[in-house]
Formats: sequence, structure tokens, C-alpha cells
Amino acid sequence: MPTQDLLPLAVAVPLLGAVLLVVAGRRLPRVAIDGLVTALAAADVADLALLWARTGDGRSVAWLGGWRPVHGEGVGIVMVGDRIGIGLALLTAVLILAVVGYSWRYFEQPPTEHPGTFPALILVFEAGMCGFALTGDLFNAFVFFELMGAVAYALTGFRIEDPRPLQGALTFGIVNSLAAYASLLGIGLLYARTGELGFAQIGQHLAHHRVDALLVAAFVLVLTGPLVKAAVAPFHFWLPDAHAVAPTPVCMLLSGVMVELGIYGIARIYWTVFSGPHGIPMACFRDTFVAFGALTAVVGAVMCWQQRHLKRMLAFSTVGHVGLFLIGVALVTPEGVAGTALYVAGHAGVKAALFAVTGVLLDRHGSVDEYGLYGRGRELRLGGVLFTVGGLALAGLPPFGTGLGKAVLEHAALSRFPWLLVVFVGVSALTAGAVLRAAARVFAGAGPRPRERYAGPETTGGGEEPEIRDPSRAVPPPMLAVPAVLLLGALAVGVLPGIGRQLALAARLFTDRAGYVAALYGPAPAPSGASPATGWTAEGVSLGLLSTLLALVVAALAVWGPAVPSGAVHRARETLSATGRRVVLPLRRLHSGHIGDYVSWLAVGLAVLLVVTAAQV
Amino acid sequence: MSRRLRTCLFLAAAVVLAAFYAAACTGLPHFAGLVHPYGTRAVAAAFRQRTANVISSINFDQRAFDTLGEESILFAAVLGAIVLLRRARDEREAAPAPGRVMPSTRLFGTVMLPITLLTGFYIVAHGQLSPGGGFQGGVILATGLHLAYIAADYRALERIRPLASLDVADALAAGAFAALGFVGIAKGAAYLQNVLPLGTFGQLSSGGLVPVINAAVGVEVGSGIVVLIAHFIDQAVEIESPSTQDGQRPDDASGADGGNR
Repeated sequence: MPTQDLLPLAVAVPLLGAVLLVVAGRRLPRVAIDGLVTALAAADVADLALLWARTGDGRSVAWLGGWRPVHGEGVGIVMVGDRIGIGLALLTAVLILAVVGYSWRYFEQPPTEHPGTFPALILVFEAGMCGFALTGDLFNAFVFFELMGAVAYALTGFRIEDPRPLQGALTFGIVNSLAAYASLLGIGLLYARTGELGFAQIGQHLAHHRVDALLVAAFVLVLTGPLVKAAVAPFHFWLPDAHAVAPTPVCMLLSGVMVELGIYGIARIYWTVFSGPHGIPMACFRDTFVAFGALTAVVGAVMCWQQRHLKRMLAFSTVGHVGLFLIGVALVTPEGVAGTALYVAGHAGVKAALFAVTGVLLDRHGSVDEYGLYGRGRELRLGGVLFTVGGLALAGLPPFGTGLGKAVLEHAALSRFPWLLVVFVGVSALTAGAVLRAAARVFAGAGPRPRERYAGPETTGGGEEPEIRDPSRAVPPPMLAVPAVLLLGALAVGVLPGIGRQLALAARLFTDRAGYVAALYGPAPAPSGASPATGWTAEGVSLGLLSTLLALVVAALAVWGPAVPSGAVHRARETLSATGRRVVLPLRRLHSGHIGDYVSWLAVGLAVLLVVTAAQV
Repeated sequence: MSRRLRTCLFLAAAVVLAAFYAAACTGLPHFAGLVHPYGTRAVAAAFRQRTANVISSINFDQRAFDTLGEESILFAAVLGAIVLLRRARDEREAAPAPGRVMPSTRLFGTVMLPITLLTGFYIVAHGQLSPGGGFQGGVILATGLHLAYIAADYRALERIRPLASLDVADALAAGAFAALGFVGIAKGAAYLQNVLPLGTFGQLSSGGLVPVINAAVGVEVGSGIVVLIAHFIDQAVEIESPSTQDGQRPDDASGADGGNR
């Protein structure tokens, strides 16, 4: 089979698989359904792995329906796979396989009269995400963006017996749909001006127009969808509300890859559509989104530290890390892209593993509350080890992939924005510190029993419904094997030098706009310039160790601090928490769960972006 | 945030958005221009493919991959409705009471139902020739069926609505679109390439793959929408929820951090 046919196949295989599951699911026993969906997920992994291998350090281009452009003009849709896009699709497919394995036979999948619906939705979700990662067409990207949205809303609200998931899904659906309308308005503006819908083709035509209000408005509007999907502050409010209530396997996908696809969308659209002559200047893109990224990272980390609901904690940690990813792609250098790609790959494994272990806790104890679970995870020794290792990896402990990605990004940011080092180290330390704090309390019963301190309303995470059929028997083996394998995968991203090298080459290709355009019409020249270094350096290792150490220190202070007899430590702690409360309480109040608030913030974020961008072009 | 603050914040931002969007619209091409770069190319391509309805040529041939995504969204929406509107553990089903219908409504419905279905079939079948197609015709077919609900009652609708088969038809038609793409690959061309004989311009059989995909979409939309509406009506008519008696509002339990409800 020719290489370019593998591109649409990555979308068509899961779609056909979903149909097969819906039609045949009613007549098959649960074991057969799970076997079938595992085989289908594996088939898509194989397709994308083959595509990755065959594409190599180049691009695979597929004109759907054979509508190649004639004399530079065409009517069709193009899919363009380079190793960043294919890699992200491959990461999606691998995570889908992990999720399917995690839910094997045990995870309760209503409705009972329609068995096969849950895995079918998972496969359609995969089709949407792979399509988004591989397409080279703006409108087509929008369609797949909507497809993954439509599935994600349904999957988030999956446990209908509880009003919380429905509220979370509703918030998710409304905020994301409004963002999608904004994107569509932007696409309309670009289409009206250029008569093109392909990324590269729009970019080429924009070069013939001057920079005006239409360009600025289209730039901000088109990016609204990906920005909301990526949960960049102040568009992030929906994420914790949705991720905290979705079923565990779905959380693994939402936090592991879907949010990161938003970051990918921002970077891809900027580079191919807006980075050319008469586009949005690189300095404008860089300064604006580095600032937004830093804001997101800090908000996510601070809120993460405040949570006792474990899933909300992990969700806010995702917000924090997404901020770092946004900074990475906003540096507009190959090094930034390579570092982000490594970081995303490592983070996907780590975060999915952490959610997976939380799912085990949920099933054992019907709770994801750090306080309520105090000491109750003791008998779950392997789970405790995995959760702790996940926390350390989240901090950027070498040689995990998260550590390598963070190190490369820190190096990339150092020359222009040295202050970002504090953001990178602080955000990884604080988010990982929260996870380690919870690990120590839940799995080891360390420190005194946590007291109820926070006066305002908060989400505790108690009284949740278990998700598997019979929580009273032993933990199903896949529920601990899958997180172990995922953590090993995150380790492999940091240890195997081949991955970093290939992503470095891929990043150079990703940032080569002229090459992307040329690849549509024939073989593109190889990109000029050196590919960035993505190996371990002494500086990277020491910063990784520093953030891990800081994470351990803050976790230890939180767990054992109250037990220290009164004195200097105690007083310091009190003053710190008093000042913290003054800053943090208003921030917590902003996360009100009120959809109207979130929509207002969406509008405010857009207005700020418009003004800031217009001021800089 | 208080209601007042939220509204002020939104309105302030909305003014900025409106100003920018209005300014952006001044950069658009003028109304009623004679050429549009894409429109001109798409019409020429549709004629080359002997598809009289240019819209169908764009939907099912030139940009068929978009349409594959769109009909997958409908497919996903149907699956989502099956999942979200299922009968929860604490809900029970009750038989709906027969409704009283005016004789004139009943007569009108009985006459219009077959006519509407026929119109739907016509619109689907002629999608490659005249305005309409699978999406539009499918919606008409689904709407036509629901005349039974208006003209009689829910039990009459249930009798003429084979929900289980429509469920399967929806999935199979969605799959047929994705599968038809492989015809191109099998013939050594691209995925979703229109490799079937194109026929004579203006004939029912013209357009190659276009009428086939169009028919698949017609079946998918028609059955998908019936299933979708069925789940919503079931929820309203047949399923009784206990929580309505408890007086518990869903937003009491929303996941949130701060808040001042």
C-alpha cells in the first residue's frame, strides 16, 4: 500500500471499527467486544507506526479523492503528515490502546441494552483526534475538532446517575462550542479573502494582502477553538470541571492527548497560515503566547496545590503543564517545538498513569478525596509505588521523558526569557508536590490526619460511584499493569536517544514553512539550519533534580509540617498560608462552576488577545 | 462573580469583539462580485465530474472527507444520545397515555405522512441533480415519520418506527461512507476518489460515486435523526425520574472550587 494511503486510513479504520462495534456489539459477549476493540486499536497503532517509519524525516502528502491541484489551484482536501503530526496521532493511538486495555472486561459500560457503545465512542474519538493531527486543511481541522468535541462531551457525562458529570459535560460542551463558533467565524473571514481552505494555500494567498483588521481578527478567532481546547487561561475553566467528573479511562485521554492537540493546533496553524510575509510577526506571537502560557502555568500550579479532590488536582496539573507546552511552541524555535514534543509524549504517559491509579482508588473506596482516603491506600502497595513514581516523573526527574522535555525547553527559553526558568521549575515542583503530598497521605498514611481548614465551598471528591462491576474483589490486573507500562513508556521517551533525535529533526521540519508549502506540489527541499540538540545536559539534569527536590520538600512540609511542635517552622508556615490565602482565595472563587462566568472569561480573553495582537502588528 | 459583575465583564468584552469584527468585515470582498476564486474552480470541477448539483459535488466528491467527518459527528451524536439519555438505575418507564387528536389533524397527518416520505425519497435520490441531497432529504424523511406523533399519538409513532433496525441502519450507513472510500484505493487511486463511471450529465445515474455516497448519507441522516429524537421523546414521555420529586436541583452538586451560590 502506498504511504500516502496510510494517512486517511488512520481515520477510516477507527470509524469503521466503531460501526462494527455498534452493529455486532449486541450479539457478542463482553469478552469478544473487548477483544475486538483491542484489535482495532492495535490496527490503528500499526498503521501510524508504519506511517512514522515510512515518512522518515520528510512529509507524507495525501490529496483526498485524488484532487491534486492543477497549476497551483485546487478544490480538494490535503492531509500532510510530518513526524510531529504523525507522532501525536501515534501517541493518541497508543493511549487509546492503553485505555482499552485498562477498561478490559471490568470497567462498567452501560447502557446494557446497547453493549459496545462505549468502545465505539472511544474509537470515534480516536478518529477525530488522528484526523486533527494529520490534516493540512483548516476547515477539515475544524470538522475533526468538532468530532472529538461531540464525542468528548458524551464521554464526560457518561455516568448519568450523578448530576456532577452532566454539569461538567454541559460546561465543557457550551464553552467549547462557543469557541468552535469563533473559529468558524475566523475561517469564514480567511476563506472570503483568499478563496482557500488549506493551511498552506491560505498562507500563500495572505502574502498578497496587507496586514489589516481582518487578519488580526481572523488570527485570534481561528485560534480560539484550539486555545479553549488547550485550556489556556482564561479559557481553562471548563477543564477541571469536566476532567474531575469524566470516567477514569476518558480522563486519561482528555488530559493525556486531547488538551495537547489544542497546543498542536495553535502551533500548526500559526506556522503554516500566519507566519509568512504579511502575516502575524513572530515577535508578536512569541511575546503574547509566552505571557499567556506563563499565566496558565502559574494558575494551574497554584490551583493544583489547593485541591484535595484527586482528579481535580490532576486536571489542574494538566492546566499547569499545558501552560509550559504553550510557552514551548510560542518560543517559535525548532528547539522549543522539539522540547514540547518530548514533554507532551512524556507527560501523556505520566498523567494517564496517575489517572489510572486514581481510578483504582475510586473503585476500592468510592472516593477520590485526599483527606477521606488518608491511610486507606496502604494495602494497595503497587498502586502507591506507581502513584509516587508518577509524581516524581511529573516533577521532571531525570531520566523520564518529562524531565528531558522540560530540560530542552528550559534551554530553549534561557537566552530570551531567563525568568521562565523559575516558571518551569516552580510549576513542575508545585504540581508534582501536590501529587506526592497526596501519595504520602493516601498510600502511606504519613503525617497527622489532615484537618478541614478551608472555609469556603470546595469539591471534596467523597461519595463518588465506583466504575467497575464489583469493587469488592481483587483489583483487576490490567488496572495496575496499564499505568506501569505507561510510566515505562514515559521513561523510554527520556532514555532512548533515538526518540529525541527524531523529534529534533521533526521540529526542524515543523518550523520550515516554505518546505511545508513546497511539499504540497512536489518533493520539498530539505530544511536548512541545524536541528536542535535534544540530549541530556548537566544543566538539564541538575534543573530536573532541583524541581524534584523542591517537590519533595513542599510535599513533606505539607504532610509533616503540622506535626512539627510550635516554633519557627510553625510560625513561618502560618504566615505563609495566611498570605497564600489572601492571593489564592479570590483565584479559587473565580473557578465557580458557573457557566456564565466561564463564558464571560472566554469573551474577556478574546478581547484581550485582539487588543494585544492589534497593538503589536 | 455576582450577576452584575459577570454581565458588565461580558458586555465590555463583547463591545471590543464587535468592534474588531466590524472592522474585519470592511476587509471582505464586496457583495455581488462576479468571481470567487473557489466558487469558479468548484463549478468547473463539478461539470467535469458530470454532477449537475455543484453543492453535492463539493460535499460528496471534491471535499468528501469533510462530509465523512460531519456525518461521523451525527453518528457520534446518536451514540452520545443513546449513552446520556439511557434509563438510569433510579428511573422507571411508564406507558404514555393515548392523546386526544382533532379529526382534521388526524386526516391531515394521514394524508401528509406518505407525501412527506415520498418527497424525502425524491430529494435524496436527486441529490446529484437538483438542490437537496442526503442531508436535506434525510431530515425530511425523519420529520415525515413524526407526523404520526402529531396526527395520532406516541404509540402510533412507535408502531411505524422500527427503532432497532433504524439503529443498525444508521451505523451501517455511517460505515458505508467510510467503506466507499476504499473503492478508490482498491482501484489504485486515492481514498474517496470518484472512480465509478460518471454517466451522462443530468441523468439520475450521473456523478459516479456521488449518488452512492449521497444515498448512504440519506439513510444515515434519516435513521440517525429518528433515533436521536426517539431518545429525547422517550425521556420526556416514557421515563419518570424520581429526582423531580426530591426537589434537588442539578447545579447544587456541580464540581466547583469557589462560587457564591
